[in-house]
Amino acid sequence: MPAVLVVVLGLALLVPMFGNYYIHVFALVFINVILAASLRPSLTCGQLNIGHSAFMCLGAYTSALLAKHYALPFELSLLSGALVATVVGLAVGYPALRLRGVYFAMVTVAFVEVIRLVAAIWVPLTRGNSGLSAIPKPNLLGMTLMTKASQYYLVVALTVVTLFILWRLERSRLGLTWKSIGLADNLAQSLGVNIAAHKLLAFAVGCFFAGVAGAFYAHFIRFLFPPEFGFLVATNILVYNFVGGRGHLVGPVIGAVFLTLLSEPFRGSAYETIFFSIAMLATILFLPGGIITLPEKLAGLRWGRAASAPTPSPAG
Amino acid sequence: MGQGRVGADAESRWLMPLLETRQLTKRFDGLAAVNGLDLSVEPGEIVGLIGPNGAGKTTCFNLLSGFLPPTAGTIRFDGEDITGLRSHLIVRRGLVRTFQLTTLFQEMTALENVLLGLHLHSQTSVRQLLFSRRPFPREEIDRSREVLEFVGLAAHGGQPAKNLPHGHQRILGIAMALAARPRLLLLDEPVTGMNLGESGRVMALVKTIRDRGTTILLVEHNMKAVMGTCERVVVLNFGEKLAEGPPASVSRNPKVIEAYLGAELEHARG
Repeated sequence: MPAVLVVVLGLALLVPMFGNYYIHVFALVFINVILAASLRPSLTCGQLNIGHSAFMCLGAYTSALLAKHYALPFELSLLSGALVATVVGLAVGYPALRLRGVYFAMVTVAFVEVIRLVAAIWVPLTRGNSGLSAIPKPNLLGMTLMTKASQYYLVVALTVVTLFILWRLERSRLGLTWKSIGLADNLAQSLGVNIAAHKLLAFAVGCFFAGVAGAFYAHFIRFLFPPEFGFLVATNILVYNFVGGRGHLVGPVIGAVFLTLLSEPFRGSAYETIFFSIAMLATILFLPGGIITLPEKLAGLRWGRAASAPTPSPAG
Repeated sequence: MGQGRVGADAESRWLMPLLETRQLTKRFDGLAAVNGLDLSVEPGEIVGLIGPNGAGKTTCFNLLSGFLPPTAGTIRFDGEDITGLRSHLIVRRGLVRTFQLTTLFQEMTALENVLLGLHLHSQTSVRQLLFSRRPFPREEIDRSREVLEFVGLAAHGGQPAKNLPHGHQRILGIAMALAARPRLLLLDEPVTGMNLGESGRVMALVKTIRDRGTTILLVEHNMKAVMGTCERVVVLNFGEKLAEGPPASVSRNPKVIEAYLGAELEHARG
């Protein structure tokens, strides 16, 4: 497992050799990886959150405005963006997390629209639908990261840190407790788990990292446009999780990488939505456990074929 | 505990029931599932709560454990009013329940299930979360293994709970509740669906748990198990207390026999 991680990271670091187009695409891949992975704590608790892009939006605008108008260093503006996303997440989550299943999902969908509309209407602050431009490039320890390549390395580092923290949380007691809530909340409650508090914590952790992703996005693209943070982005984040697989943290990572790269030719066009819908449908029909279950599924098929007729195949 | 609290105080503590309900009532749309129930459980007892299907036994458990708010009446645990308290706070006081159906987390290993039972007694720090090499402190793993050993599942710690045979799954459910260190354990049909050998083993386990200082209130349909284990039986019918006493006298009580036979007849008429 560590060997695989080193190889993947090594390959990721080689990307800038192929030029600015690939740097751009892969930076978006890593932003999506952070978004997808940070949705996971909420999903683990059994909460269908279709509002993650709202928290990305909050992080993006907060960080961009603070850097642009107050010349805040990137480290601080990124942290502020993430914290604003977290605080708003707590405020929205506190009442909303009492709702179950589809009702909670509806609140998150509505919230995405609210945030998008606020960004579009609050023209004096956000410039509305004309878009917020000339956002400063990210800087680190006082040095501006001028090249796209250096910014790319920054997002790789942010992704590594995010995934590390999320992985640590997931394998700890906290992760086990979140999983227990997702599996049987009554039983978890009967063991003394404060369900409401844990759901809120999982939600807030997700909001924080969505804010981080948004903040980097703002300084990397350097232009923010409210429709970029709509409902479709939020569903895509959800789809990364389902297509990649919900059984392990690797799932959303693979889902985000795979779908972002494959959908690249359609980015921004109507075909993008169609592509994501097909990916989601195909997953539900053929690979309910997501891409991460593909190896065992294939092994099962081969085993089934190799064995002579009467033995029941696990894939069947 | 109680080194400094001797004399009158300690004595009154012993005279006080561990659990006491007064006029406990729960109505669903006017229909009383539990009606004016006065129930008391002394420390160190094994009490059985029995009655025909729909008598209000599970509703009663839901009320006691805070999963449902009562319509009227009070619940006192260890001398303190816990009526209307949220369930995780009730567990914190030492009143722990198990469930009839969802008894464990199927997708997790037996050890993880017990680790979850330790939830209340775990102090996971941020340092532990982010920098420790172990996902769980050694004491918690040791403690969970002890509990598994106590119930006789030591060899199955690493197995996914869903792969365990039914009897072991039910025992694991009890182990999880034990990990939460209950003073009063509410067992909802602990031996349902078990064969004779399995149910015998579980009932022996229940006695051992009591001998180690945990008071027990259990709901069970298996009369043989109830009569052989409980020291006192409370019979519910239509949400009300029909009879109460030692198993032998309750089973001869004509009202009890009638309630059970009546239910059987209703059932047969369908």
